[in-house]
Amino acid sequence: MADKAVGWITFLRKYGPIAQNDNMYDEHIRKSSRRLGIRPIEFPHPIEKEVLSIFQADASPPASVILTGTAGDGKSHLCGKVWRLIGGGDTEWASDEIYYQRENIVGGKPVTIHIIRDLTALPDRDDQNRYTNRRELLERFCESIFTPEPTEVFLIAGNDGQLVESWQRLGDSDLISKTRSLFESFLVEGLHEKPGVSLKFFNLSRVNSSILLDLTLDALLSHEGWHECYERGAEELEFFGNRCPIRHNYELLKTPLVQSRLKAIFELCEYNDLHIPIRRILLLLANAILGHPAVKDRLLRPSDIPQVLKSGTVSKASLYNNIFGGNLSETRRESLEVFQNINKLRIGRETSNRIDNILIFGHADENLRPYFDQFLAADRFYGADEAYYAAQHEYLEGTDEDTSNNHAFLELLVGQRRGLFFRVPEAQAQEMTLWELTVFRYAGEYLTRVMGALKAGGKIERPILSRLVRGLNRVFVGMLVSADREIILAKGLSYTDAKVCPLLEERISVIPRLGERMDVLLSNGKAVLRISLSTAISCDLPLNLTRYEFLSRVAEGALPSSFSKECYEDMLAFKSKVLRALSERVQSQDETPEMMFRLLSIDEHGNPTEEIIEVSDD
Amino acid sequence: MIDPSIVYDPPRPNEHPANILWVDEQIWGHRLWDSQSSWLVFLELLNLAEACLREGRLLDERGVSYPLNYKPYKRMHLRNILFNNERLTEIALRAPDSETAWTKWLDWMLDNAKGVQSDFSYLKNRFHSFHEFVSLVGMLRSSAVESETNRRWSSRFVFPFGPSGLYEDLNISPSGSPTREYINFGLTGELLYKMLCRSESAEQLRPCLAAMLSGQNPWDKVLSRLQPDSTNDLTTRGISFLPYRTHPTFDRLGEDWLRMCKLQLPGFDSYPFLVTLSALHIMLYQLTLASEWDDESQKPYFICEVLAPKKTLIRELAASCYQKNNLRSLQTVENYIRRIEESQEWQQACRQSGNFEICRQLLIARVRWPRNPEDYDGCNDPQTLLSELRKVAKDRHQQHAGNVHRNYGRDIGLISKRGTNKLRYAPNDSLLKALVLANVRGRLEYNEFLSRMYTRYGLIFGDRQAETVLDKGEFDKKAFQANSERLEQRLGSLGMLRRLSDACAYVQNPFSLRS
Repeated sequence: MADKAVGWITFLRKYGPIAQNDNMYDEHIRKSSRRLGIRPIEFPHPIEKEVLSIFQADASPPASVILTGTAGDGKSHLCGKVWRLIGGGDTEWASDEIYYQRENIVGGKPVTIHIIRDLTALPDRDDQNRYTNRRELLERFCESIFTPEPTEVFLIAGNDGQLVESWQRLGDSDLISKTRSLFESFLVEGLHEKPGVSLKFFNLSRVNSSILLDLTLDALLSHEGWHECYERGAEELEFFGNRCPIRHNYELLKTPLVQSRLKAIFELCEYNDLHIPIRRILLLLANAILGHPAVKDRLLRPSDIPQVLKSGTVSKASLYNNIFGGNLSETRRESLEVFQNINKLRIGRETSNRIDNILIFGHADENLRPYFDQFLAADRFYGADEAYYAAQHEYLEGTDEDTSNNHAFLELLVGQRRGLFFRVPEAQAQEMTLWELTVFRYAGEYLTRVMGALKAGGKIERPILSRLVRGLNRVFVGMLVSADREIILAKGLSYTDAKVCPLLEERISVIPRLGERMDVLLSNGKAVLRISLSTAISCDLPLNLTRYEFLSRVAEGALPSSFSKECYEDMLAFKSKVLRALSERVQSQDETPEMMFRLLSIDEHGNPTEEIIEVSDD
Repeated sequence: MIDPSIVYDPPRPNEHPANILWVDEQIWGHRLWDSQSSWLVFLELLNLAEACLREGRLLDERGVSYPLNYKPYKRMHLRNILFNNERLTEIALRAPDSETAWTKWLDWMLDNAKGVQSDFSYLKNRFHSFHEFVSLVGMLRSSAVESETNRRWSSRFVFPFGPSGLYEDLNISPSGSPTREYINFGLTGELLYKMLCRSESAEQLRPCLAAMLSGQNPWDKVLSRLQPDSTNDLTTRGISFLPYRTHPTFDRLGEDWLRMCKLQLPGFDSYPFLVTLSALHIMLYQLTLASEWDDESQKPYFICEVLAPKKTLIRELAASCYQKNNLRSLQTVENYIRRIEESQEWQQACRQSGNFEICRQLLIARVRWPRNPEDYDGCNDPQTLLSELRKVAKDRHQQHAGNVHRNYGRDIGLISKRGTNKLRYAPNDSLLKALVLANVRGRLEYNEFLSRMYTRYGLIFGDRQAETVLDKGEFDKKAFQANSERLEQRLGSLGMLRRLSDACAYVQNPFSLRS
């Protein structure tokens, strides 16, 4: 019994950030699974059903499938499932061949099915002579997808870069460049199929990471290995005893609050166009449960527990800190994309006065004491322990010239802020300025009042819309205007993207009026800001989290170029589009430019005023 | 070597009496001028284009390679109002009313305006008030091209809003009359115009350029309202010479112009990009022709550092590549003279009796030197004569045409010292932006973009391109990969790159009509 529990933790470590060959990942896991007799962490992929249905005998008409996405998205795993569906054997699949071929009935007809499980690894020549050479095979693929009822279909897996590059190398024949631009539009526009093409294109990187997180969490937390651990009935100071950090982390991860905050982090990444594949989610979760900076590979083994408990370093195994890779060395952490992505939110590094006051002075301040007790003192694992009180005392009262101790306390603060991010309940989120713990102060609002409202089929509230308008106007005009009922389009004398634009071009009403309006809408699951100049002419700006934060902060007084140069450039490009659309509108209304200038200035309240200069024509 | 069928015969020597030598001119034309900024090259081009449009022959040489006579404007009234008029605001502030202000100002202008035959009283009825007039002038002044430079007032230029704001560079003689000098408008803009004429895109570019010169905007109208109705201030110009009938560099220039125009950026937003790209192509023209004259198979290339926080191998390679290219044209001049020396004709002449005079005549025929007695006062020995020619040609080249690579390169942001004390190729954001705008329609896969930068411009950022030109000893794959990653980040920060996954990125043109 005991061995099984230990085996499970040993197995779980394999998913974590330990040194291993990334290409052999699946095999590595499978081998360990066989050796230890433990079932891998598995769940049906959200698109599995759809992919399998294409290769069913009753599918109609037969079509090829491309599975693409980042490494770790589960492409080869899905290929294996298809192979088994069409009658292929497990042993053949385990041989790690790249190319497989089988006849089967698809859509009621006999069809040759080619499976290429890794496009780049496809050998130029097949040792069994099932194809002449790589080029010939891929050309056959190109032909088949433009055939309405193909007699052979393909299942090709490869990451998106390889896909594009492989087809670039094939040369420039009509068929090939036609296929290539098809891929490109699938990839960039996020399409799934096109009329007249016998191909379904699945970009696994487009599957929402927060959905994958839910599935992975569920599969991990319900794994029978945990049951084995409880069955041990361990003593207090043993592995999986009630003071064991592995057990505590596992139990924490099961709490709805921790799960919902973790999910929020993933959603925010998603809204910033950062995709996290399954393999990296597993890595993150395994590290979250097992991380500890002072043990081998910085991941706990059951045998480490007694020593960790004895040395009083349980707090270093904090789930809250491990989620961000806090247990890893800086170089290791930075080499892992999942932590890079998650740490873009800078949770732990960002803070507000209120939060830091609680963390630093809360123990001694009677007003703050209740919060300190609720969020720090009450947590006997990762809250304020003796080491924390000592470092805090040193920080506040210490006379030591040597500031290295302060540094240690500041690092502890990082961990505690992360803890707060997961401990503050929803009801206290606003009071505790929860989202100021991230770099995106408006993240909470974006999640609930923008994306939440849009996904529920609603509209975003007027004050939010007004704030976005104000942000846009400040970028468009280059002055601190406070107008929020109309979009103000102004330009410089010679360039439209001048830093300060004194020439008023047009005012566009935000509230619907004569075809003019501004809305935030949902398009393909993402938020889009749309400025309509007439019923026929409009311009869209994808409103991701960073841009939302940018516009909100600019609206509240930040300088446009100080927050993000990228966003600033994006907004200027958007302005350029709107101006171009405006000239389209002017042309369609057949207006000729007048000898009149509208000089824009703002009064002390930020209201735009215009002075008109006319030049007589005679 | 250059295909003789694409080379035009040079103009007759008496067309350019002030030229003491005809070497740079034969290789690159008359002339590549180093102290003309990229904006002034552009303005010179617009002047020529506007004059041709007026005569109904825009971008059409009608088979005549030389001379391309044209009549640019002087617009002395406008220039006095905008740039030789320091009392304007003071008068506006002090005068109690519009009427008094007009009187005072017109009076002041009578004494101070230069190079004009008539007064400025026509203005009075064209504006509602003196105040309005002053604020319009103030705005136009603020739009001046390269307003931060400290040029004389007669060499300052209002933004090219349209034909009413185009005029040639002039000097004002002590007597007050305007004279043409070739310092700021050094004819490179005329060469640029001719390159466009001879590019494959000339036909398609005609409507684009015509639209730029149409003056269909209020600012051009204001400019025309600032000038008297009839001005008869045209003088014929046209001594520039471009030796080649066609050339791939002309075609690439034309394509880039066309692509920029097709983007339909609002207003005048495309101008800075056209300015940058034009100067880049002139630089490329110079180096490409240099290597063609020298029969080199390797076309010019530029190893570009994407600014790194600390010194990298790429920085060193970029610096040495810069140094090599910077001496490239000088080498071509030397080779040009060496070929004269090695020619049968010269060898034969040397062997004849009275060889010095024969050699001298031969040089006059080939390079128009030493035409005047003061050009050469050395001994009567053909070898010494040739050495002197070499010296004169090199000195002359180094004073002007030889600096085009460096000056233009710095001006457009390709060459810089940023972060170090050595010049090297390190493109800045605005150059990168211009390149993306001219090369990416909608989107382009990142590696394709890199390869396009190399094939079209010789710009090297990544390992694949570097590998083809560098020796094994110099090439460091990792360093170039890091360089290319930095470029990716830079383009990303300009909103011009979209990464789909760790393996796939697209460069995107945010202004493209295809969304």
